[in-house]
Amino acid sequence: MTPRQSPVQLARAVVVSAVALALLAYASAVPWSYHSGHAARLRLSWSARPERIETCRTLSEAELAARPAHMRQRVECEGHAATYLLRVSVDSQLVNESVVHGAGLRNDRPMYLLRDVDVAPGTRRIRVSFTRREQTDDDAAAFAPAAASDADTGMYAGRAQREATERARRAGAAVPAQLVIDTTLTFADRGVHVITFDPERRSLQVSRGALERSTSPPTVPHDY
Amino acid sequence: MQRLARLTRRCLTALDAIASRVYGWPWNPLHQSGTVAVAMLLALVGTGIYLLLVYRLGAPADSVARIAADPWLGSWIRTLHRYASDLFVLAAALHAARMFAQGRDWGPRTLAWVSGVLLLLLGLLCAWTGYVMAWDTFGERLAREGARLLDVLPVFSEPLSRIFAGDGAVPSAFFFVNLFAHIVLPLGAGVGLWLHVSRLARPTLLPPTRVMWSILGALTVASVLWPAALGSAADAFTLPLSTPLDLVAAWWLPLSERMSAGAAWSVASVIFIALLLVPRFNRRPRTGAWAPSHVDTRLCTGCNQCPQDCPWDAITMVKRDDDRPTLVAHVDASKCVSCGVCAGSCAPMGVGPLGRSGRDQLSVLRTRILPEITAQPSAIVAVCCAQAPASHIAALRARGAAIHDVPCVGNLHSSVVELLVRQGARGVIVCGCPPRDCVGREGPKWLGERFYAQREAELQPRVDTARVWVATLATGDLAGTLSTFDDFAQRVAALPSPDREHDVQLQAECEPVAAAAPATAPATAPATAPATAPATAPAQ
Repeated sequence: MTPRQSPVQLARAVVVSAVALALLAYASAVPWSYHSGHAARLRLSWSARPERIETCRTLSEAELAARPAHMRQRVECEGHAATYLLRVSVDSQLVNESVVHGAGLRNDRPMYLLRDVDVAPGTRRIRVSFTRREQTDDDAAAFAPAAASDADTGMYAGRAQREATERARRAGAAVPAQLVIDTTLTFADRGVHVITFDPERRSLQVSRGALERSTSPPTVPHDY
Repeated sequence: MQRLARLTRRCLTALDAIASRVYGWPWNPLHQSGTVAVAMLLALVGTGIYLLLVYRLGAPADSVARIAADPWLGSWIRTLHRYASDLFVLAAALHAARMFAQGRDWGPRTLAWVSGVLLLLLGLLCAWTGYVMAWDTFGERLAREGARLLDVLPVFSEPLSRIFAGDGAVPSAFFFVNLFAHIVLPLGAGVGLWLHVSRLARPTLLPPTRVMWSILGALTVASVLWPAALGSAADAFTLPLSTPLDLVAAWWLPLSERMSAGAAWSVASVIFIALLLVPRFNRRPRTGAWAPSHVDTRLCTGCNQCPQDCPWDAITMVKRDDDRPTLVAHVDASKCVSCGVCAGSCAPMGVGPLGRSGRDQLSVLRTRILPEITAQPSAIVAVCCAQAPASHIAALRARGAAIHDVPCVGNLHSSVVELLVRQGARGVIVCGCPPRDCVGREGPKWLGERFYAQREAELQPRVDTARVWVATLATGDLAGTLSTFDDFAQRVAALPSPDREHDVQLQAECEPVAAAAPATAPATAPATAPATAPATAPAQ
């Protein structure tokens, strides 16, 4: 037989339901600490193509003649993507030093860099350097355009120049061999400054969003 | 695993006892956890459609803040959406725990278990994307954690974490993909739900009307009274002191943030795989109590009742391989969960799991209970489900009842009760579980119809129904159990002493007609007027 509920039982059910729902409402949004009130952060975030360290040589006419016509590339290069040393100093104290590789199995994809460095609030001198680790005898030589060749005729006319242009474009799309920003930033409590690579200026910059939120105007970043 | 199941069962029993005391067993929401989860899914779809109309991909934080600030509609609908998602997760987890504790998670139930685990996972993922949509500090925190976890997988060419670094605006494509996932995941949940109940003959998708509207109404009132907190808008240039945390739908976040991404994936994978493998760990050999039902083709009259009663569609009627003109029942062992409901449905007592057919039940009765009744003719026999709370059975025994336990009252063949009454029992009270907490799914439902609504195999008209009663033993409602028993004892005490028939051979009476004759109706079909139901038949 289905039991009937007395008014007292009904009242008890209402009270218990109210308590259960209050618990559900509380559990649905429990205040949960995330960061300390006296904390600030320097964030480095950018993506850029690594340079390609190559050894190039110009093929002789005999070598070119031995190849199919569509494979007669005048300058052949072999090499690998460069790696970079990231160094972050806060008030002249080194807080982060790491090697950054390009993404992908062969490390030839763009580098994606995201580092969070905790700093104490206040005005801090920040120095970030991003330097290619591999040394070349002469960077300019590595990317120098090959000399135009009179041999390029017909549908292959101007190929040497196109090859040179392509190498120059790739070199231009890559991150410079050395990037440095040395600046003074004021970190508010729980404030974040973001340093990023500006591909148009080809230099490290402090993100405008951070500057606009800064309580005191920061010094103008000094770029190298 | 069995120890864990017992522990879970003890915890659930304690919770059930509280809920039954507070709400009464017919409306105990804990017994309705699965259907409550479905009701919450519907509530989420309903409120979600409204929120989708006013949500702006281009300004997620602003639009949600505007929704939250609208006291007439937006605030409570958004809050109801959130509370319903929390209740969905809670109800689904509770439902899984109950199935695990009752051993209803292996064999033919494996598909339901696995799809249920996936549904719970979908629910958590959907809550995740929902919080990210709001793009407050908590949403940003979840998004950052999600990006951190995804970045270790070799899936995306560029790390997702950089989206939130602050060196550029968060792309609207991110919010579009998130919204897309938030809409597609519930569609997946719909497919999962279909799979979840696909093996059932008569799935129950919604809770009783009173329970469903009470829960929805209470959630709506709570949504008005306690609007859900919304953190401040996400800002990549400010570290939030704290964020609101949903401990129900995002309980994993504090744990995940403390681990490396690889460790978090490992732990999550281990938990997920362990949950998927529960049916493998919990499975029993299909012998003894777990043996599938068996049909005695000699006794089967082709009445088509057991396929109708089987909750798992495990029985079909097929052609006979002898010269009788009727069909014969066939049990698909891969679908049979050994609930034994078919044993109570077969008038000639020719079907049932090993040792639990009607004939087996009569044999057990003759050896166990009848001597007790013979010795104590005024005894009331309490036929109790083996799942019934031990304290209730002990209390009934203390009241002088002779206890006869059965695996499930849905198994109980009406001939057992008939034999008890004809052998001189003063009364027979059949004590089942609350209908929505029956391990055999539909045991109490079919029992009531067999005793009071002429469903095959019905209680025969020759049985004095004044001496028979069906009761519910609900955990936490001992007073109700004793009150029901005492009322019944008073009623049968007022009846004249029962006449004891000697040499009752119900098996012989239930033999089917001769093989040569067309057996279109069971031999036990009522020849006289149907038994009249008691004036206060139990509600089903």
